[in-house]
Amino acid sequence: MKFRAAIAILLIIAAIGIAAWIYQLQEGLIVTNMRNPFSWGLYIATWAFFVGTAAGGLVVSSAIYIFGAKEFKPIAPVASTTAFIFAVGAMVMVLPDLGRVDRIFNIFLYPNFSSLMPWDLIVLSTYAFLSAIYTYVLLMPRIAEKGVLGFLKRGSPNVDELREKSERYAKILAPIALPFAILIHTVTAWVLATQLSRPWWYGGLLAPTFIAAAIATGPAVVILASLFVYGYNERLKNAYRLLAKISASSSAALLFMYYNDFLVRYWWGEGLEYEALAIVFKDYLHIHFLEIVFILLAAAILAKAATKMGLVVGSVFVNVGVYFHRFLLMPPAYNVFAFQIEGWSYPIALGEVRGSLLNPQPVFVDYWNYIPSPVEIAITAGISAILLLVLVALLKVLPVSEDT
Amino acid sequence: MVRYGMVIDLNRCIGCRSCAVICKIHNSLPPGTWWHRVETVGSREHHVSVGKFPDLSEVYLPVPCMHCDNPPCVKVCPVGATWKREDGVVLVDFERCIGCRYCMTACPYGVRQFNWEDKEKAIEKGFRTAGFDGEYVDGYRHGYPLDHRTKDGRLVYTPERPRGVVEKCTFCVQYIDQGLKPACVRGCPGNARIFGDLDDPNSEISKVLRDKAYIRLLEDVGTEPKVFYILPVRKKGRGIISYSTKLEVKR
Repeated sequence: MKFRAAIAILLIIAAIGIAAWIYQLQEGLIVTNMRNPFSWGLYIATWAFFVGTAAGGLVVSSAIYIFGAKEFKPIAPVASTTAFIFAVGAMVMVLPDLGRVDRIFNIFLYPNFSSLMPWDLIVLSTYAFLSAIYTYVLLMPRIAEKGVLGFLKRGSPNVDELREKSERYAKILAPIALPFAILIHTVTAWVLATQLSRPWWYGGLLAPTFIAAAIATGPAVVILASLFVYGYNERLKNAYRLLAKISASSSAALLFMYYNDFLVRYWWGEGLEYEALAIVFKDYLHIHFLEIVFILLAAAILAKAATKMGLVVGSVFVNVGVYFHRFLLMPPAYNVFAFQIEGWSYPIALGEVRGSLLNPQPVFVDYWNYIPSPVEIAITAGISAILLLVLVALLKVLPVSEDT
Repeated sequence: MVRYGMVIDLNRCIGCRSCAVICKIHNSLPPGTWWHRVETVGSREHHVSVGKFPDLSEVYLPVPCMHCDNPPCVKVCPVGATWKREDGVVLVDFERCIGCRYCMTACPYGVRQFNWEDKEKAIEKGFRTAGFDGEYVDGYRHGYPLDHRTKDGRLVYTPERPRGVVEKCTFCVQYIDQGLKPACVRGCPGNARIFGDLDDPNSEISKVLRDKAYIRLLEDVGTEPKVFYILPVRKKGRGIISYSTKLEVKR
């Protein structure tokens, strides 16, 4: 009953999201709260978040075949399914951000490889493809036995032979997928970190923090998905505990790198790098507080999680915290900008006339207080709901669990 | 090879914003979109001096697209919709842009503008905001009325603005391709601008750049802008003139 209610709610959110997207397609991106001085917002933040949550597949498969963590074997198909869903989700998340989504094929027709965007598309789609193949390879014997929705079932399969084949292919695929799994986070970070005009992003530290955020959220997503499929039981206790520990230690690494960057920016006390940091504490202290509290709590809970409740709360918290962290990528980047003359920022035209004759509002601004518009929130929530629905459907349809 | 550039003499700039307005008129910019900006350096309001009397400063800084020789916007464009033409002008192909706005993130000068809504809707909203019910002349649209394509057929100017694409200053490509100067150069009442070929040693712009001290904006980020500024000569006390080497803000 509870499950059905949850699905119904997700369906409603998805429907609202699709309606909002249609509305945005009709009206243009004016319905968002992004404007010329603040040209990327919630969509791109969510894209970066989904790239991170897609890390689960890598963590699990590499742990099995490179570090010999055999306890992960039963949950490997679930992990690679989440990796597939979120890698696809990240690519989908960019679509509502495009002004001309109908021209998306230009990226295949005229790719410009000095831009990191086509590279990101290449690594993300390769990772999604490899995750899908990997899931199939892992499930090969069971698919032959039970089929998927009545298809693909073979008459009298030689299950032992298939098991051996699946094991052999998985061993080959895991190390091929690993570099792509690292690349999706680094290339995504590089899209932002290469921009000298944005002192909040520019530098070598962004890619490592993206990896830390990914290895914090990816396993947490795998924990939630596996709890949904298998529940909490003796057999998987150790797998959950290990995943929780990986997530907790990576959360700690994320906070370390984040504050390390803060100190470096703070110490000099001048310049654009410092000002970007100052904006976090002046204008976005509440969001900063939330990201830190959620990530810290999650790390504390997951480090010792030994109950189902602890695992669920910790995994949800780390995702919430990292989501706030992802949102905070945007405001300091756009509101502290290279074009300054001795601390005075040159204003930028908004791209929209606001106010009225008696109450005119400036067109040229040097600061844009970005709060996602209801349409942006609805579209982002809608896409997330659709991803969750597809994930649940895949986990129900595929023979991921041994006993059903 | 022609390589276009522009000199703006800040001694001659009176901050009237004619360049910004004439740009808006000739390039049929929608309301709220400005390819060209003029601000008073260091001041929250234009035409308000900064500093404490009698030590005041009021320097106007007009900013078009810098048409960088090393343009970050061209480097980041995933589909090659923005590119540097052989004559050094950085253009946007209205028919190829996918509207991802990566170039707006990359540009350190903030000159790029996005078409957030339909131009017609923006015009309607603009009139309403200005206190009009309709338009002052029904159906009249300002701007150069014809589409302009480069030799290889790429649409770089159109009076009908496609929604969802990025646009920016083109050095008035529709005019320079006909041998005319950009609108802001022709429209400047103080004659503060010189436009021409940087590679021709006999051009006016080359001669001016040889003789005078100039700066370019954000030179340290390595974009190699092709808009040059001649800095204003300041009086420092009675009878003392200082030739500054950088834009200063008195606070």
